[in-house]
Amino acid sequence: MSQEINMDKVKEEMRNLVAEISEKSIEEIKDDARFSEDLGIDSMMALEIVASIEKKYKVVIPEAEIPNMRSLQNVYDLLGKISGK
Amino acid sequence: MEGIWDINKIQEILPQRYPFLFIDRVVSIDEKEGKVTCLKNFTANDYFFTGHFPGKPVVPGVIMIEAMAQASIIGFAAIKPEVASKHPTYYLGKVEAKFRRAVTVGDQLVIEVKKEKIVNNAGVVTAVAKVNGEVAAEAKIMFGVILESHR
Repeated sequence: MSQEINMDKVKEEMRNLVAEISEKSIEEIKDDARFSEDLGIDSMMALEIVASIEKKYKVVIPEAEIPNMRSLQNVYDLLGKISGK
Repeated sequence: MEGIWDINKIQEILPQRYPFLFIDRVVSIDEKEGKVTCLKNFTANDYFFTGHFPGKPVVPGVIMIEAMAQASIIGFAAIKPEVASKHPTYYLGKVEAKFRRAVTVGDQLVIEVKKEKIVNNAGVVTAVAKVNGEVAAEAKIMFGVILESHR
């Protein structure tokens, strides 16, 4: 990672991103909302989220980690892990 | 950059056939960068010009999208040859496209596809289709890949 991730900023940006891709209102995007069951995010939307994260934060999310991204909280945890925090 | 695919090699990867095969040649493949460049030549004999439009041939936007989507499959196959060789079903998930200029008889469409993220069962790519170096259409394309045995 070339830059440190500011988690509060990341959380806000991630909520906006997930709201946009899932076409839900920002109020529905809770940290523990389940992507598939609660937000209707399918595998392609999930990949769109992954691609957006990679581009925005200049990180690489391994393919094996994608099935573990089942909520925003999972995504924060993963971002923390791959940025070495 | 290396590798040139002719129409026979293209048909080993793309499941589409006449009248819905819209890639004529693959001119470059860069697996490392996740980039491919494909060509499609439009001629007066193309069937859709009969109706789109009589006396004023314009390649339909949906066909431009289809050509970019087929180029995306070539891009997927370059990065995931082991999946592509099993002849999976490819389906479009979402397309965000912009059209910049009309494409007509005699135009050669040069389609450049670059991966954003490709995994075994899906892909996100950007595609740019140019004629004479001028952008005719561009799109962000999301697609899914299903192996028959997984259905």
